[in-house]
Amino acid sequence: MSDVTLTIDGRRVTVPEGTTIWDAAQTLGIDIPVLCHDPRLDPVGVCRVCAVDVGERTLPAACVRAVSPDMEVRTDTQEIMAHRRVLTELLLADQPAVSQREQTTGDDKLYALAREVKVTDIPWPDQSERQPRGQDASSPVIAVDHQACIMCDRCVRACDDIQHNDVITRTGKGYSARIAFDLDVPMGESSCVSCGECVAVCPTGALTHQSLATTDAG
Amino acid sequence: MRLLSELESIQASTGALTDEALKAVAERRGIPLYQLQGLRSFYPVFRETAGAAHRIQICRDGPCRLHGQAKAKALAEALDDDSRIDVEYVSCLGQCDCAPAVAIDDKHYGTLPQASDIDVLLDRPNALERPAQPLAAPLPTDPYPTQTQHYTTSREWLARPAEQVIEALEASGLQGLGGAAFPTARKWSFTRAAEGGPRSVICNADESEPGTFKDRLLLEQAPHLIIEGMLMGAAVINADTGIIYLRHEYETARQHIETALEQARAQGVLGDNARGPGLAFDIELFISPGGYILGEETALLEALEDRRGEPRHKPPFPVTAGLHGGPTLINNVETLAAVTTILARGAQWWRDQGVGDYAGLKYFSVSGDVEHPQVVCLPWGSPVTQAIAACGGMRADRDLLAFSPGGASTPFLPASAADTPMAFETLREAGSGLGTGALFVVGTGRNLADVVITQARFFRNESCGKCVPCRSGSTKGVAMAYDAVNKGGRDISQPLSELHDTLMRTSICGLGQVALLPIVDALKTFPDDPSLKALQKDNA
Repeated sequence: MSDVTLTIDGRRVTVPEGTTIWDAAQTLGIDIPVLCHDPRLDPVGVCRVCAVDVGERTLPAACVRAVSPDMEVRTDTQEIMAHRRVLTELLLADQPAVSQREQTTGDDKLYALAREVKVTDIPWPDQSERQPRGQDASSPVIAVDHQACIMCDRCVRACDDIQHNDVITRTGKGYSARIAFDLDVPMGESSCVSCGECVAVCPTGALTHQSLATTDAG
Repeated sequence: MRLLSELESIQASTGALTDEALKAVAERRGIPLYQLQGLRSFYPVFRETAGAAHRIQICRDGPCRLHGQAKAKALAEALDDDSRIDVEYVSCLGQCDCAPAVAIDDKHYGTLPQASDIDVLLDRPNALERPAQPLAAPLPTDPYPTQTQHYTTSREWLARPAEQVIEALEASGLQGLGGAAFPTARKWSFTRAAEGGPRSVICNADESEPGTFKDRLLLEQAPHLIIEGMLMGAAVINADTGIIYLRHEYETARQHIETALEQARAQGVLGDNARGPGLAFDIELFISPGGYILGEETALLEALEDRRGEPRHKPPFPVTAGLHGGPTLINNVETLAAVTTILARGAQWWRDQGVGDYAGLKYFSVSGDVEHPQVVCLPWGSPVTQAIAACGGMRADRDLLAFSPGGASTPFLPASAADTPMAFETLREAGSGLGTGALFVVGTGRNLADVVITQARFFRNESCGKCVPCRSGSTKGVAMAYDAVNKGGRDISQPLSELHDTLMRTSICGLGQVALLPIVDALKTFPDDPSLKALQKDNA
């Protein structure tokens, strides 16, 4: 496979053909923020916070778009920063008051991104009052908070592609889309084997380990 | 059998896709349950439970809302306690000439009836009223006066080199009539040049944007023109597989296409030697399990590969990597029919049909406040006023207030722009677009804010939910607009414009990119409209 030379934020870089813009930027030490992407998983490009400017009508997701010769990529324009902030605000607007992940392991990626892009107030309506998304405490091991889910698809890919347990899907459509187990049964009644891979890849408080106090043992 | 087709057939025969039915499918096919849940919950045709014995679906979009909000509410209320009937509001049914349109039992379409007529209609749903469609076979673009002459054009052109077909299309100036305006000759030549397989020709017959129903007429009255256009496409790109992707609601079209396909097979137009000795081509009719997003060409491909119809990232484009990864020629119904007309009559004849330098004839779906909403066939470049006049003019009690020339994604223009020639470039310069040629006419006295919010609401309702800007942004944008209208208190023009910018630039597909455009653009084009003032007023 041949190599491709391109420019990212004014710096030239040569990478193998087929490399994504996100991976090419990594080799330069440019960290394009992501929520849905995890290097262990096939990219899906749905959160759009890694959108970059390649001079086209729209901004492609760096995690999906492959490099092309002489491509000129900008990852840090004022416009990109503004979209990144709006996308982060849109997701934050519907989050529960407290992130279970931030509370426990302290590594909620949405909150980290909010700090990075300096979200101060959220001008978008909180949809959680009109269309609450609910919780699922049926599994003794894993706590599901649909309200904290940003539909990044990481758990779906981890369950199906890494573990081959084939339990999780996206269900529904549009704003009411959420994750589901088997034929949309509570997680505790599904074929889930509680391997914990989904908890490990979830970027928010949507899938976390049940705290001892909420299990039968507590 | 395709998985989606199997699910559709279970849905049609039992009225639902129950858990038990899906478990049986999963076991038989050796596929996981989650995959079936993903499909069942994505496509609107599928249901978990069968519901009442009858179902009445009422269109809630554009032209139907304009004509029938009060009537629809009255019918829904009257039937509220009727245990025989489920009443639901649905997205555009593609019957905008019947506005307000309804569907009875997923099969019969027409104008919303009075509650007192329901008992008769449940017995005889064919009695559902429909306005006459003045255009009938043979259509103005049909080169064949009689059925015996069908397919004589392809017989002649199949003997010529493929390059000549592309040259004729190039000379005609034909552009994609599904709204994207991509030059047809270039698309055909790119797909022909693309290497690998499998190679397919797909007719996109999934028009679903509110106000759009012109393809329905072509599919019902001239399916042979579409089949012949597909055959020529197959010959040019060397495809042996053809698929007509038809929207679920086009029941009459479905029957007419099936008949036309059988006739074409009987004549050998389709089959083992369709493109020449030993060069097979046949066409499968696939009925979409529903949803506007499936008209997006890569979402359509996902459905044809038995997945949730969520648009793919582009590139790669379908011309190089489409159905099952092979080169795929996807054209709109009207485009494929026009190919046959152009090859039969010649590129020069086609060019001569337009006004001045505009080439060809165009079918326009005209809906809204005109006397007789219908599909009209006019020379390219005809002014908007002519399309309105062809439908009997404005309704008696109204003058022209605004019009959207090409479907919900094309912004409304004021009455002062009604002399604009209907063509891609002229309407773009006027600040809108020709889109699919779906002219939605709004008369004086109408609430323009309600009209444009309804357009944005359609996109919100039809968002697949895959990417954040569209899923979340369309929901919040529409919620902000309703809040401003119902509660007041905040000038939303600036934040809505900022939100639209993010949707336009970062959404994966065209749906998200235009979702909030109807509102954001109307606020700029109609700064003095009293109904739209509510969105701009800071009356806290």
